[in-house]
Amino acid sequence: MGVKATETRRSSGLSSSDWNIAYQLTLTQMKLKDQSSFFGFLWSFLHPLLLLALLYVFFSARFSDQIEHYVIYLMFGLVLYTHFSNCTSMGMRALRSTRELTTDAVFPKELLVFSTLIANSLELFLSIAICIAIALATDISITPAIFWLPIVIFAELLLVTWVSLLLATIFPFAWDIDHIYNVFLRVLFFITPIFYNISFIGDGLARRIAELNPLSWVVTTMRNLVIDGQGPAIGELTAFLLINAGLVYITLIIFRHFESRFAEMM
Amino acid sequence: MRSNPINLSPGHNLSPASEVCVRVSLVGKYFPRAAAGGSSFSVIRRRLGKTEEADRTEPFKALDKISFDVDMGEMVGLVGHNGAGKTTLLKVIAGLYKPTHGEVFVRGRLGLLSGLGVGMVTDLSVRDNIYLYASICRISRTRVSELFTEILEWSELADFVQEPFRNLSAGMKTRLAFAIAIHNEAEVLLIDEALSAGDSSFKQKCNLYFQSLREGPATALVSTHDMAFVEEFCNKTLWLHHGKLVAYGPTTQVLPEFLRNE
Repeated sequence: MGVKATETRRSSGLSSSDWNIAYQLTLTQMKLKDQSSFFGFLWSFLHPLLLLALLYVFFSARFSDQIEHYVIYLMFGLVLYTHFSNCTSMGMRALRSTRELTTDAVFPKELLVFSTLIANSLELFLSIAICIAIALATDISITPAIFWLPIVIFAELLLVTWVSLLLATIFPFAWDIDHIYNVFLRVLFFITPIFYNISFIGDGLARRIAELNPLSWVVTTMRNLVIDGQGPAIGELTAFLLINAGLVYITLIIFRHFESRFAEMM
Repeated sequence: MRSNPINLSPGHNLSPASEVCVRVSLVGKYFPRAAAGGSSFSVIRRRLGKTEEADRTEPFKALDKISFDVDMGEMVGLVGHNGAGKTTLLKVIAGLYKPTHGEVFVRGRLGLLSGLGVGMVTDLSVRDNIYLYASICRISRTRVSELFTEILEWSELADFVQEPFRNLSAGMKTRLAFAIAIHNEAEVLLIDEALSAGDSSFKQKCNLYFQSLREGPATALVSTHDMAFVEEFCNKTLWLHHGKLVAYGPTTQVLPEFLRNE
């Protein structure tokens, strides 16, 4: 008999009770993070701070006379890289780390990914505020270009959202993507101009790779806003936002397509 | 609970005036015997060509050609031995599992209680868990705030509101989760063995709830091994055996037959 399997049908938007779930899940993650150690929320800043100290000790002699305000330069690179790394790693594992909710509760499962991203992104806002405060304390003068900052932060959020959705979709089917992605994150650290300037790596393949890396664009643009006081090229910014918004839309469709398989794959 | 009801497909043969709330039509759910996930290498290998293992083994038929309708306001007891396919059937109806064959139609807001307290976090306080679990049960924050005292009184946990959830006994946790879950506003409620725990006072409270559920407009499918429950509350019984539908009809007819064959 020609019987077709039925896809679960639901409207593409999220209802108010969906947002309530997202809110509660985010709140839960933040509370758990706060309780997870003696230092609570501050613990999240210790890792990038240690990395900052290490990179400064090792590279300041080489780069500080070529890169102005090298500490601030490093801080922005590390803050954005750490946010990308934490969000996407945790977003990838969101369905597994809340396995019970994935297998036994009925609600749009992208909320598990979104709540992880929101909980981790609040740290980003605080970190950027700290970076700007430190920049102000030094002799950096803030210009009106700083008003572009929310849009560049939004660009970073779009980037982490589609990468997380894509990884979260793959993870239930291929569990070792976790290990592969950890290796990728190490590579990403070096192909993103965190402790060096993109102009230092010549015009060869390395530069091509670094320029194609979307995180490089976010890091460089944010530094230009705060340290150099330069606004972004409107065309570049628009293209970046449109491409990443499109990718969020596409990865969300892919995620929803596979959603009815997640419970059984867990 | 699903806030966005699954809409009846335009091509189905239910008229809008139909009383049918849940239609399960020739549903099959097969699971591969080899592990579904695995390393990326094994996934690629399976995609590129069937492995010898996959060639040798038939998939496990958790559900096979199941068809039935549930009318609005009915309470259906799902009976059968462990592994009969009761949980799989509820998860297919809930949309958590995609059926291998067949179609499922649900009319109305759907809720699943698959074990009480799903998603509750041991490291958070009782208060935090009330808000968290209520959100999963699709109860708004405003409504929870209104019901907060009632939930604590019903679960007899008024003195524990700031305590970490992990300090509660298993019975207390079940009581709290049930006290929250009963306030969900699902029109089609799927319950999977959620009520097997608890002392006699808890069971009495549960019975009162099911009494009101039976008399109300909600439709419910309850998977259970408690035959007294099916006899008392379910007007229909669905009997599953090794993934096949053995009988579906009025409890007075199906349940004695099931008990004779048990």
